[in-house]
Amino acid sequence: MNRTGFLFDERFLLHETGPYHPEIPERLLAIFKGIKEADLLPLLKPLKADRASRKWIETVHDKSYIDRLGDACISGKKMFEHPDNLMCSETYDTALLAVGGILKTIDLVMQGELDNAFCAVRPPGHHAEADSAMGFCYFNNVAIAARYLQVQWDVERVGIIDFDVHHGNGTQHIFENDASVFYYSIHQHPSFAYPGTGREFEYGSGDGHGFTRNSPVLPGQGDKEYKQLIEEHLVADFERFKPEVILVSAGFDGHVDDDMSDINLSSEWYTWMMEKIMDMAAQYTGGRLVSVLEGGYSIKRLPELAKGHVEILLNG
Amino acid sequence: MFVSQSMTRSVITVEKEAGIIEAQEKLIEHRIRHLPVVDTDNRVIGIVTDRDIRSALPFKLYKDSTGDKAKENLEDLTIGDIMTADPRTISPEDTIQDALLLLQELRVGALPVVDREHHIIGVISVRDLMRAFINVLGIGQPGALVGILVEEEIGQLKKIVDAVAEENVSIGSVLVARYWDENKRAVFLYLLTQNVAPIKQKLKKVGYTLLDPMDWHLDQYLTEE
Repeated sequence: MNRTGFLFDERFLLHETGPYHPEIPERLLAIFKGIKEADLLPLLKPLKADRASRKWIETVHDKSYIDRLGDACISGKKMFEHPDNLMCSETYDTALLAVGGILKTIDLVMQGELDNAFCAVRPPGHHAEADSAMGFCYFNNVAIAARYLQVQWDVERVGIIDFDVHHGNGTQHIFENDASVFYYSIHQHPSFAYPGTGREFEYGSGDGHGFTRNSPVLPGQGDKEYKQLIEEHLVADFERFKPEVILVSAGFDGHVDDDMSDINLSSEWYTWMMEKIMDMAAQYTGGRLVSVLEGGYSIKRLPELAKGHVEILLNG
Repeated sequence: MFVSQSMTRSVITVEKEAGIIEAQEKLIEHRIRHLPVVDTDNRVIGIVTDRDIRSALPFKLYKDSTGDKAKENLEDLTIGDIMTADPRTISPEDTIQDALLLLQELRVGALPVVDREHHIIGVISVRDLMRAFINVLGIGQPGALVGILVEEEIGQLKKIVDAVAEENVSIGSVLVARYWDENKRAVFLYLLTQNVAPIKQKLKKVGYTLLDPMDWHLDQYLTEE
């Protein structure tokens, strides 16, 4: 059995988005419940968050953007620069805690204290751009984690796998010129879903050409098409790239019962996907793998999806 | 919506006495496919495309510039010999819709834009119109598309827009397309939000049918012809 970390901090619940928003604290409670009721908690190493130091946020985000977000919180704004991004006075702090918790988790994995980990954080990150919040995301958690691995731990090649049903525009743009970070995303086709990027012909640019890969999937499709694309694109790309650490942008919103998309994935697919990722980690990274929560809005399905996710991390 | 606003103003032109290799180099250097041919007064007298030039170049020479005999003959060949003379032009005061329809009717890729005295002042190409279309669709901004089936009657769009406004969501674009059932219309809203689920629910609740995304046809009318 692997030594698997589970980052969960009650303070992640303090980022509130009001009564009509899908990205709500109940998501994390559902995830916690699924893991607890499957009696997995005693098998996991519990992790709490520390606030990230601003210098790590600045490896990805513009200083002026970080200031704007901080100021908006202090001044009591309920919305940050776009109606999608609802916030409260705790949002800035919660976002710092999410990043800080992930960086602490990375330290433990890199020190060999943990084999892998699941970071159940809010707010999510993969839509956040260097200079703007987007799609419920404020700091790009996974992008900052990748930079941290490179700066703090001298990792040369980071592989990011994003299976959230939406394209991680922020992560892609942050690394599109960078050959040291491979960004792979599979998502609902951008002509049918937010945010409208992540088309098949987006491969990265400059030095980063060939280090971004997108697999758009048409509405109504599910397990079969996803499995085929993962084998054809991701598995083949990572065989060439050979990442030293794998980061996962784990979004559970492609599930058939999640109304954020028209993709029809089953719970079994998520298990299959994690097994694939564990195989690649075993092959290339010595098992080093940190999974970070992105989307997933079905309060009914999140418990079983989180349970399946963590079980594979423990046993896979 | 005028040609003057969407055309390319820095026009690269060629004179009819020019050699075809010189013209080809211009096309390559500026990454364009159409060269208006002008007289000494900058009046349009013809147009030459990369295809005209390629058709005029013997294959051997095209691949291998040391071909001798063929090259000699080629040196005698000028743009005047291969251009389309007196091409259709368009005025800067014409609209983008005029340009779209004319390009489709003529089956060409670009039109020289000329003033009243026929002086060249720009070129409008399929590429310029594509840029305008991307802008009209709103897809340069993050958002998501929703397809709604409505009865062909007055006031339908208002109810849809009201529902969207109640959710405090901005609209990037609205397209209304013909549907195979002629009493109905397909309305496509490009919504500048990630949060489309509540709007979909609301629209269903007030009685609209959402189109299955795989049944979205923007050009059904044209393809049926």
